[in-house]
Amino acid sequence: MTQPWITLRSEETLTLSAPAVVVKDLWFAYREGEWILRGVDLQIPAGGFWAIMGPSGAGKTTLMRILAGLLPFSRGQVLLLGHPLRGKPEPALRRLIGYIPQQLGLVRGLTALENVLLGSLARHDGWRTALGFFPRAEIERAMALLEMLDLADRAHEKVFRLSGGERQRVAIARTLMQDPQLILADEFVSDLDLPRAAQVLALVHRLVRERGLSVILNLHELQLVQEFTDHVVILKEGRVVFESPAPDLTWPLFREIMEGEHEISSEITQELRR
Amino acid sequence: MSAKRLAVRGTWQSLEWRRWRELWFSLGLVALLAWLLNGMGFFEAGRLIQGTSNLARFVQEMFPPDVRILPTIAGALLETLQMAFAGTLLGFLLSFPLGVLGSRTLFPAGVVVIVRFLIAAIRTVPSLLWAVLMVIVVGLGPLAGTLALALYTVGYLAKLYAELFEAIDPEILEAMRGVGARRRHLIRFVLWPESANAILSQLLFMLEYNVRASTVLGLVGAGGIGFYMQAYLGMMAYSRLTTVLLAVLLLVISMDVLSAWLRRRYLLHP
Repeated sequence: MTQPWITLRSEETLTLSAPAVVVKDLWFAYREGEWILRGVDLQIPAGGFWAIMGPSGAGKTTLMRILAGLLPFSRGQVLLLGHPLRGKPEPALRRLIGYIPQQLGLVRGLTALENVLLGSLARHDGWRTALGFFPRAEIERAMALLEMLDLADRAHEKVFRLSGGERQRVAIARTLMQDPQLILADEFVSDLDLPRAAQVLALVHRLVRERGLSVILNLHELQLVQEFTDHVVILKEGRVVFESPAPDLTWPLFREIMEGEHEISSEITQELRR
Repeated sequence: MSAKRLAVRGTWQSLEWRRWRELWFSLGLVALLAWLLNGMGFFEAGRLIQGTSNLARFVQEMFPPDVRILPTIAGALLETLQMAFAGTLLGFLLSFPLGVLGSRTLFPAGVVVIVRFLIAAIRTVPSLLWAVLMVIVVGLGPLAGTLALALYTVGYLAKLYAELFEAIDPEILEAMRGVGARRRHLIRFVLWPESANAILSQLLFMLEYNVRASTVLGLVGAGGIGFYMQAYLGMMAYSRLTTVLLAVLLLVISMDVLSAWLRRRYLLHP
């Protein structure tokens, strides 16, 4: 395997074809010695729609938070859109990463429109916006996004009055408002029932494909993974124990990996890769 | 005995033990109260009986209230209300930034410790003492009372606000940092809207409290109705004092009604 993180260090070699995410031997612990991630390796191509699966406590959320630049990691290398991530990401890089946390992270006391506008803060971080005044063009853009997501009539409703599905769409609109190149979504459909989750994912799928964005999702439902993503990674006890194109992960295989010892799963992975 | 039955028995024993502990603790509290009251002479029958008859004579002289003084005290009553409003709002304007600086949500521990200490120091001084200090600083009159109430308000509201801000869902802050929000944006778009209800609710509580507190500030020359309270008490004009007390009661009840209406009208957020 080539080592793209070495060639990509130089700005001139940055192209659109650079992988969206490269993770090399990533280790992380919240407390000394208690490793949550134990040497994760990943390479996600630009434009990829990837799912990360795994049992609770496997380190999925931790990995997401590290990739979102919210958690400094202990050991290893991370390249986001060709830029090395060390400590807090530069504002210019942060702008390009859209992050949707599990509970969406919407401000309940603000309206849907105001929440979407917050996605433009990275472009307008002066005192004017801090006082609540956004440029007219941004307001129009936020409204257009809400309209596209079928939320125009809810724009001035406070978020705590919206339904679960509507909140999900507000979170998507806020992320798109940011103009990211990479979207990280941490189990953001896990509170929805399967048909609704499928609806939301279909929407996300269409929007990111139109824009050529890269997406990494933490998902629980194999059905959703098979239907919407093109590649799947399974984390277990902080390690990548399986990686394949999404259609290759069948039910029996998935069950075996989730229930079995991860050494066995590794063998299966090797087998499949061969 | 099976393991399950043993476990049930263990649960029963720990529950029983907890009940006894609660009972002994309650009895201990009652004993402590009795000991404290005894030290103050509460159980000396003669003293209480004598006191009660004194009170009866005092009450007799208080009635009927002398309503002829109403025009005289109306201005002072209005001044009391003005002091309470101005003091509470001024205190609020100082409390919000201090609350932000005093919460670990946005500021490092060093800043938080210093600000929390300052807030605690302000809170240690009772409002009447603040009034005395402010009379020394700015002289007699309602300005002293207003400043005293503002400082007293800061002592409480700043602490409550700091705690409110620390209780904000960290995921919201994380998501906002993720979109590139700076500290000023977090204050405007997370701290404020996420706590607006509690902020308003505590502000109203403080206003009610300050209306009550401002009625006694006049005792030390810090303006308002308290001046007349002290004067009539000194002159032993108890029927006039009754009028003042009834006027204050009316004011306090009106404030409670107003604040209850404001809560119903504006605090709908779950």
